[in-house]
Amino acid sequence: MRISQSCVGCGHCKIVCPVDAIETCGVSRITDKCIECGRCKGYCAIGAIEEGA
Amino acid sequence: MKVAIIGAGLGGLLAGAALSREHDVEVFERLDVYGGRFTSLPYKGFQLTTGALHMIPHGPTGPLARLLASVGADVKIVKCVPDGNIMKKDGGQISFYDFRELLSPAAQAKIPLLMASLLIQRKGTVADMVWNDPEWLALSDSCCGWALSTLSRDTPAAEASAIIKHVIGGGPGKYNTPGIPMGGCKAVVDALAKIIEERGGKIHLGSKVDKVIVEDGAARGVSIGGERHDADIVISNIGHKLTSDLYDWRYMKPRYAAALQKIRPSAGIKICLAAEEPLVGHPGVLFTPYTQRVNGMNEVTHVDPSLAPDGMHLTMTHQAMRSGDVQEEIRLGLQDIRRMFPDKKYSVLLVQCYRDDWPVNRIASGFDLGNLTPIKGLYVVGDGAKGKGYIEVEGVAAGVMNLLDTLKKGS
Repeated sequence: MRISQSCVGCGHCKIVCPVDAIETCGVSRITDKCIECGRCKGYCAIGAIEEGA
Repeated sequence: MKVAIIGAGLGGLLAGAALSREHDVEVFERLDVYGGRFTSLPYKGFQLTTGALHMIPHGPTGPLARLLASVGADVKIVKCVPDGNIMKKDGGQISFYDFRELLSPAAQAKIPLLMASLLIQRKGTVADMVWNDPEWLALSDSCCGWALSTLSRDTPAAEASAIIKHVIGGGPGKYNTPGIPMGGCKAVVDALAKIIEERGGKIHLGSKVDKVIVEDGAARGVSIGGERHDADIVISNIGHKLTSDLYDWRYMKPRYAAALQKIRPSAGIKICLAAEEPLVGHPGVLFTPYTQRVNGMNEVTHVDPSLAPDGMHLTMTHQAMRSGDVQEEIRLGLQDIRRMFPDKKYSVLLVQCYRDDWPVNRIASGFDLGNLTPIKGLYVVGDGAKGKGYIEVEGVAAGVMNLLDTLKKGS
């Protein structure tokens, strides 16, 4: 998964991530723990998360 | 009548629940969850909100409570006692109504003038209203920042005046002050979604509307992934600006286009704290006028402990964004918290920002554009179409009521 620069830092992705793979503080960042489940994408407030590296 | 609603935020669900009594309602939501910025998601046993702070500004007697009751939503709203305190410079608290204790004799002497301004001032900003006096500005920035996510210098005096009148005299209680919905924000939107579905309406999640279908100058439905969904009217809960991206600009009217250009959202930052011992100590608002950034906070678990794990408290601070430097704004907010609670045991659960296309308000309070658009049968609800003089979700409810009146008159 990949987070674009339009991320506003709402934190939804971090809340719903089942493996705590996302860091959020102003903007979000996906760490190596990501299992590509895609759950974060469906909750991203502004559609900033895309599939792919 | 077939009604298509774009966005299952609070405004969309309120409109949907109200209209589903007599009409066929379909709600289309881009996300995999309904509620917009007025729901919560579970995180480490806490119910973290997507926006609002599990609080309804005018409690069980305000416009939102009244609209919820009128549509038949089963929501219990508990009035906060105390309704609001102010944190003093030494960290102690006093009742909001004793604010004059915080002022110098010179600033206190201006109270009668300020009361008069509240009744008659129609121009300028709140900062003008308090003469840009630093002592008064500290208080007004805290109130404006907490309630509207704007600073005194950006808040129209007329809007502030209307809000204060609604707080003081707008309902059956002496004051229309805050309440907490049992079960938090999610209980409210769950109740509304249940009503829509029980009355045969549908809520489609993961359904991004890519176009409002306009024929002969009137809205005739929406398109999702190229698939047409016919409707007699379309109600958008995504704000005027994003709604205008969904139809052809040849339908745009110059005056409306000019208004769109002037739209300013209000931005803010919420910091969610997990505390083993209370930080605020009561369920009401704690205004914090003597900080660098944090405008106020609440601790809703005094009313509804289910919003946190057993024995824990959920405390949420809010601050209006004062600059575009998000990292610096967060740093100063966190520094405020450390300074306010130097000896308390807590941890930061999450920092959440509300800006750009996911703001506190799509249009800052006092500048709302109302429900109408240049397209016949296309209306806007939500935080870009709030009713005048109401705070946040109360404004959303008032805006939906305005639309319901408009539709009733037109039928």
